Amino acid sequence: MKTVVLWIGFRNLTGDPRRTLLTVSAIAVGLAALVFLWGFNDGLHRNMLGNFQSTLVGSLQIHRQGFFSNPELARHIEKDAPILAALKAAGVGRWTRRLETYTLVASDSATEGSFLIAMDPRTEPRVTRLGEKVTQGRFFRPGDEYVCVLGAASARNLGVGVGDSVVLVAYDRFGALTAEDFRLIGIVSGGGLGIDRGLVLTPLGAAQEMLDMQGRITDIPIWVPPERLETVTGQLRRALAGRDLEVLRWYDMFPVMHEWVTLHNAFLYLFLGIVLLIVLAGVVNTLLVSMLERIREFGIHLALGNRRLGLFVMVLSESLWLGLAGIAAGVLGGIGLVALTAHTGIDLSLLLGDTQRFYVDPLVRPHLDLRHLGQTLAAVLGITLAAGLYPAWRASRLSPVEALRHV
Amino acid sequence: MNRDKRHLIEVRELYKCYWVGSVPYPALNGVDLRVQRGEFLVIAGRSGSGKSTLLNCLGALERPDSGQVRVCGEDLGAWDDDRRADFRLRHLGFVFQAYNLIRVLSARENVAYVCQLQGLHRGECMERADYWLEQVGIGYLGYRRPDQLSGGQQQRVAVARALATGPDIVLADEPTANVDSKTGRDLIHLMQDLNRRFGTTFLIASHDPAVIQAAGRLLRVEDGRIQGGGVTYRPPRPLGLVCPRPRRPLWERLRLKWREHRRRH
Ligand SMILES: Nc1ncnc2c1ncn2[C@@H]1O[C@H](COP(=O)(O)OP(=O)(O)O)[C@@H](O)[C@H]1O
Ligand SMILES: [Mg+2]
Repeated sequence: MKTVVLWIGFRNLTGDPRRTLLTVSAIAVGLAALVFLWGFNDGLHRNMLGNFQSTLVGSLQIHRQGFFSNPELARHIEKDAPILAALKAAGVGRWTRRLETYTLVASDSATEGSFLIAMDPRTEPRVTRLGEKVTQGRFFRPGDEYVCVLGAASARNLGVGVGDSVVLVAYDRFGALTAEDFRLIGIVSGGGLGIDRGLVLTPLGAAQEMLDMQGRITDIPIWVPPERLETVTGQLRRALAGRDLEVLRWYDMFPVMHEWVTLHNAFLYLFLGIVLLIVLAGVVNTLLVSMLERIREFGIHLALGNRRLGLFVMVLSESLWLGLAGIAAGVLGGIGLVALTAHTGIDLSLLLGDTQRFYVDPLVRPHLDLRHLGQTLAAVLGITLAAGLYPAWRASRLSPVEALRHV
Repeated sequence: MNRDKRHLIEVRELYKCYWVGSVPYPALNGVDLRVQRGEFLVIAGRSGSGKSTLLNCLGALERPDSGQVRVCGEDLGAWDDDRRADFRLRHLGFVFQAYNLIRVLSARENVAYVCQLQGLHRGECMERADYWLEQVGIGYLGYRRPDQLSGGQQQRVAVARALATGPDIVLADEPTANVDSKTGRDLIHLMQDLNRRFGTTFLIASHDPAVIQAAGRLLRVEDGRIQGGGVTYRPPRPLGLVCPRPRRPLWERLRLKWREHRRRH
């Protein structure tokens, strides 16, 4: 087989420029739509997961083994120096230290069982943006002592406002019940983000003192960009192996969010499949019709001494060129659309109303996951080639004499 | 070497039947034929007499039912499709009745294409194409596409294409059938001229008087047999011997059965 058949295959497409243009545009439009959908989907997820992680959880957390499923103070981190060294070695700069335990919050009129999160006011903003969720009063500053921040719903239930005092009751490191007065300095509200109730925040120092945990912490939340999450996790797990620690990704802790994204993607893959089927049907039809119109010409090719394989490759190359042209145009169009809408943003507030419950900002900025782009391109090219297989096979099976006699 | 001593084409007892459903039509009924290098041989005969079938058997396009076909010293009998294709590419040039150019390619690209199939570089093939288009008298039309050429001009491109690979034999099946008689005469004179100048063997099937008149040697085919100019006389075989039922692969037989079944009901 000579490579000239690839060139002839290309030239054959110029025989009916209108049909070629139509086929290429069909592929291109389908692909551009898919690329844009992926961009929208990936942008939405990126935003959603980013918000989720930056609200409270971070991308990764390190605890004593078993602390996440059973948060007792006895499972605290004794010495954090090796962990900080491992973080430094992994190139992670955005981490903070916390102390977490169960507590009872009591006001003059009511009590509420809550989760106490004590944080270092200086390093917390590296990992979360809790401070930005303060709707009344203020967030912690270095030097704050026995002060606390409550969610809006909790404050309402307890009947307290900024400046009032509440009592936090908890077991200390040795299991003794302890209680302290905390002054409410701020109220956070995140709409549906799950921080409005059941949560009380204090500075790390005060909580350590109250719980007899001098210098000790229970977890180290970390922020890393999504694309580095897996590598950093691997590095940390290796570096900290044998130290009775757990390195958990956000989705190890809260798998529901991850499953939601997977489900969304599954829908998109389904859609991809449907679009591909439509493209397949269209391209098969076009190629088959154009092949049947040229039977006589294929007879000439065979008679002149083209082998069957040569003819097969020639006809198949027609779908290759169609696919490549469609992909080039479709990717340009799709990426252009993603870039444009990423610049302006797509406002979903009219469509969805309050989107905070899903950790989604109302202004979605599409962002393309290159893996999804690659998969889509490969699938479209594959399907276009597949569409050419049958016509190519038919052409290559022709008998030269019968094909020449064909009118 | 071998080639020059022997005949360029040697055909012995060639039989070929076409089956339409279960009815056999004998197209070649015991053909014997020898052709020497450099001949300008015309095969004449009425329509349906078997000229095309004979040419197709010689051109490694069609498989005979029985008999021997030696072309350029090679026995084409048992060859598979790829070997036949390679043989056509290397040794044969074809001029068909009409409309036989690749329609998306210009005249010179049409001629160059066969050279490229032979594995020569594009540039060299283009040079050859220009040379041969010049030889057939339409060097100035190289950049036209077939639909921008007249029938006679297209046939000239086809002749150039047939010669561009340096074949041993050019097989032309009714080359003048689709052009007017003046153009037809010009074409046949062109081929005669090329035959004399380059020594290429021409086998032309035609019932056009102008072609018959130009023949270097003339053979007449009737009912699938060569009259007179053939080698030996053989009485016709009974139909059953001429047309053995073809052994088709199982799926092919099932397909035919199905077709027949559908035709009946
Ligand atoms: N593919 C075919 N199927 C059935 N019959 C055929 C086929 N090709 C040729 N024939 C028959 O074989 C005979 C010889 O045909 P052909 O070689 O084309 O004659 P010519 O070229 O002299 O007109 C004719 O009777 C024709 O009808
Ligand atoms: Mg004929």
